Amino acid sequence: MTLTIHNLAWGHAVPGGSWRQLFEGFSLDCPAGQFVVVIGSNGSGKSTLLNLIAGTLRAGSGSVQLDGCELLKLPDHRRARLIGRVMQNPLDGTAPALTIAENLRLAECRRCTMFSRRGLFGGLHPSRGDRRRYAALLEELGLPLADRLDTPVGQLSGGQRQTVSLVMASLGAPRLLLLDEHTAALDPRAEAMVMALTDRLVARLGCTALMVTHSLEQALRHGDRLVMLHEGRLIGDWLAEERQRFTPAALRALYGGVTVPAETPPCPERS
Amino acid sequence: MLTIWIGAIDMGLAYAGLALGVYLTLRVLNFADITVDGSFALGGGSAALLLSEQVAPPLALLAAVALGALAGTVTGLIHTRLGVNDLFAGILTTTGLYSITLRLMGRSNIPLTDLKLSISQLPQLGFAADGQWLIALLLVAVGLIALLALWLATDLGLALRAIGNNPVMARANGISTRRGLTLGIAVGNGLVALAGALVALYQGFADVTMGIGSLILGLGAVIVGESVLRPRTVPMALLAVVLGSVLFRAMIALALQLGMDPVDLKLATALLLLAALGLGRLRIPGVADPAGREAGRQS
Repeated sequence: MTLTIHNLAWGHAVPGGSWRQLFEGFSLDCPAGQFVVVIGSNGSGKSTLLNLIAGTLRAGSGSVQLDGCELLKLPDHRRARLIGRVMQNPLDGTAPALTIAENLRLAECRRCTMFSRRGLFGGLHPSRGDRRRYAALLEELGLPLADRLDTPVGQLSGGQRQTVSLVMASLGAPRLLLLDEHTAALDPRAEAMVMALTDRLVARLGCTALMVTHSLEQALRHGDRLVMLHEGRLIGDWLAEERQRFTPAALRALYGGVTVPAETPPCPERS
Repeated sequence: MLTIWIGAIDMGLAYAGLALGVYLTLRVLNFADITVDGSFALGGGSAALLLSEQVAPPLALLAAVALGALAGTVTGLIHTRLGVNDLFAGILTTTGLYSITLRLMGRSNIPLTDLKLSISQLPQLGFAADGQWLIALLLVAVGLIALLALWLATDLGLALRAIGNNPVMARANGISTRRGLTLGIAVGNGLVALAGALVALYQGFADVTMGIGSLILGLGAVIVGESVLRPRTVPMALLAVVLGSVLFRAMIALALQLGMDPVDLKLATALLLLAALGLGRLRIPGVADPAGREAGRQS
């Protein structure tokens, strides 16, 4: 699914009564199946961009189309049916009092409306068949959670909770995957596990994915394309092969968007 | 002596719908719904009116449930569509419902003394009509627990539980929290109205003021039940609130038995609730374990 962002505008009031226009005429095209990593300093608009796409924030004007479908005109719960999303805080992406199987079932029914979620005549869920399917999926993904399907998610560690959240985002045939600094709250070991899972799931789904991160290591190692934001503007856009010429020092220098070191490849023009 | 206790159990079971309705809105949806005070009286008043007009009791009960659900829908819409705070939305509906119930009933009290009910064919168990009521109300309570437990285990029920547990996650998974809340509040108030109708049938009259204090009775049942059983699953939680309803009534009966002045009953109810809440908070080995209770909370 192709993600096309065109002329997006969004601003917000700041203390003191003035107005900060973060995005003005922002455009970005992501071809179907591309895994785009978004970096930038704090306040550059990375998470805001994801929130505008997901509908958590309302864009002032512009267009966000997913394969021709205008997302900005959809209510946020209908938009969510097309988007798998993993949030920064592991507490936000799951229902802690529900079990792993129940959380996975909710994600699997992402496409259902409130009234097409069948009541008593639709059977009890998660059913034995659902559980078998989830156990097989978790085993296939190499996650040691298959025998803990009836454990409330609130009893899992942050890393385990984030892996559940990531598996949930991949269920229900999402057309777009939004990953918002989803390893920020994890220790290095959990981060490596979640990133390995992210790569597997993105490849498995084959859908377009946008991942926001502050980790320069992740920016250099993951994804098909790297884009850099500064003050709501796109100041860098490199494909994976161009990215190979980066050094962590070059990327660090780019943070802030002021100095472009000599070894940094130029930002190519894209239509 | 025993008849008094059977009567208390009967009342507790008649109030089971109220306890389940409060559990659904408060614990499952995390919505503090004051509408129950109005929908309880609406259920009792409407059922009494229909029964006095010779409508068959099952139909009268169904009509009470439908009206209660309608009242819940109004509160849900006020909250979700107009953005009015949950407490204030419930207060608005309850205030309006008092006049609506009074208009519906035509007078403040409808007696149901000469009503012939089919439960008179049930065995008396040695307690006259109270024994027959015990069987009938027990069947209703078990049926409600089973239906609600099954419903909450469906995809729809799962969505409602997610809304109460983490609305951000629910929305991110395509669940309309507005519709879910409205539906849940409607079902909760339908259950409360059923309790109102059953209480009117049991005590032989309906009064327009019968709903005053219903919320505290429902809360009491939920809190006492959860304190006693510490449920870890939804079916156990439903069983706990019905048990809580019976225990709460039994405690009130005990207080009256011990010679308490009925004037002090509301104060005693408040103190009882405070004690139940306190037990849930205090770390008393073998009696209360807040961490365990929290981990086991199912919504």
